[in-house]
Amino acid sequence: MTVILAIWIFMVILGLTSVAALVWAIQAGQFQSLDDGAESIFDVDEPIGMVTDSFPASPSGRRAGIGRLTNE
Amino acid sequence: MNESLPPGSTRSAAFESPPSGGDLSEAQTLPGERWLIDQSCRQVVLLWYGSAVFWLLFGSLLALTASIKLHTPWFLADTAWLTFGRVRPAHLNTMIYGWASMSGIGTMLWLFARLCKTRLVWREGLYMTAIYWNILVAVGTIAILAGYSTSVEWMEFPAWAAGPIAFAFFVIHVAAWKMLANRRKGHLYISLWYLFGCTMWFPFLYLAATILIQTPASTGIAKMATNWWFAHNVLGLWLTPIGLASVYYFIPKVIGRPIHSYHFSLLGFWTLAIFYNWAGTHHLIGGPLPAWVVTVGIVGSLMMFIPVATVAINHHMTMVGYFHVLKTSPTLRFIVFGAMSYTAVSVQGSLQSIRALNEVTHFTHYTIAHAHLGVYAFFTMVAFGSMYYVMPRLVECEWPSAPLIKVHFWGTAIGMSLYWIGLTWHGVEQGLAMNNPDIPFIDIVQRTIPYLWSRSVAGVLMTIGHCAFAISVWYMLRRHGATSTEPTLFTSPRKLFQLRQSARQAT
Repeated sequence: MTVILAIWIFMVILGLTSVAALVWAIQAGQFQSLDDGAESIFDVDEPIGMVTDSFPASPSGRRAGIGRLTNE
Repeated sequence: MNESLPPGSTRSAAFESPPSGGDLSEAQTLPGERWLIDQSCRQVVLLWYGSAVFWLLFGSLLALTASIKLHTPWFLADTAWLTFGRVRPAHLNTMIYGWASMSGIGTMLWLFARLCKTRLVWREGLYMTAIYWNILVAVGTIAILAGYSTSVEWMEFPAWAAGPIAFAFFVIHVAAWKMLANRRKGHLYISLWYLFGCTMWFPFLYLAATILIQTPASTGIAKMATNWWFAHNVLGLWLTPIGLASVYYFIPKVIGRPIHSYHFSLLGFWTLAIFYNWAGTHHLIGGPLPAWVVTVGIVGSLMMFIPVATVAINHHMTMVGYFHVLKTSPTLRFIVFGAMSYTAVSVQGSLQSIRALNEVTHFTHYTIAHAHLGVYAFFTMVAFGSMYYVMPRLVECEWPSAPLIKVHFWGTAIGMSLYWIGLTWHGVEQGLAMNNPDIPFIDIVQRTIPYLWSRSVAGVLMTIGHCAFAISVWYMLRRHGATSTEPTLFTSPRKLFQLRQSARQAT
């Protein structure tokens, strides 16, 4: 039973790290301007609306799908 | 390590000035900057990836050997180190610590650099850590095959290996911390939360579990409880966060559309962070543990419906209207297969923790199918997809062959589906039969054999896919694909910017 209690102590410590990170996130303003956050992975040459991956070119040099614009 | 542009190269001009008319916000990176960030990861990430693919092939051989032995017991039965009791844990550990962890860390380091918009820190140290990691996995696997397994599932490497492995995880954690400290943008994208979370949780988990399992006070049921707290969290707090971080980056990035609901993604992360840790004891339903300990595990498992639902809705809604891209993007094919499997395995896992269902499925092949749905159909497929996106940007050439990628995808997708369907169907049959005292046990065992054959056939299909992938990776490392002359592969920044402008004008 002592070991099971020890597991529980470790589980609580692990849970507390998550709670501590949540408190920091709120205080640091991580939950403000979320739309900007969602768009932070796009760049000037890889903007929203651009597909950035495709199968390699066929021997004829034709590539499928790359850079197709979605007009979003 | 090479990270500077060759002076006077034709690329330089493209990097120095953004495409005309572009508005640069704090969040955006110039093509040249992104190229430098990618190149700072080059040697380190390629070493982690290359090693991972080696362990994938080696682990596949061990898996096939173990699978064949189940229906053909005399296969390689005369050699002690190739007996089932050694080959099976050797397969598990090479796949978890060799393939899954090494490919996951490779993608993680690249994502840290891209999302923090800064070059990879401490590259020499991370390069040495990959070599050190390979040595540990090699020595640990040899020890298991030589008969020195601890017999504690998911921790079969000898006890002396635990400290050095925990140290390697700690090095990754410190590197992650340094990357976050150096980040250029204050906001942490959702993938960074998952990645930093797992680098923080896992070293602690590994060390705590090792101490509790190795202590003399830990015997019998206490050892088992620790074992399953740890083993469940290897998937939940190590592989799952890396997999979800990859999905949250690659789906929006490949299709060019932000995540459907960023609010949902944050809710999903925080609920996973708070609930997942408690779910492990559901593995011990029916075991001689205090009932409340198991009940807490069941409650934790059912609470996981919240993060799973948020992730499933988010990924599906982001993809709506873009499913046609699956035809043309190898990355997206693997990632979407993985994301759908995440939903399936998580719902299945939560339901499995209900006592009435567990009474049937426990101790059957249903559990084996479930474990592979998590580590393979979800994590491994996401890892493949991530590597298809990252590697061309590191080696600056295209994947050598589209047919090889298709063999890889269909071999692994059909193989995994066959594996899961066969063992899940039979698992239920087997469980119901074992709960019926009128059915002789040997009859149940014999009824299992055709399904074990289906498992071996599925394993062969998956291994064919792995071989196709390994050939592609080998050619990539040798740079046999078509070379790109642009700072970012697949796109010419200026040309695409002009296309974008004309599309705006057209609308």
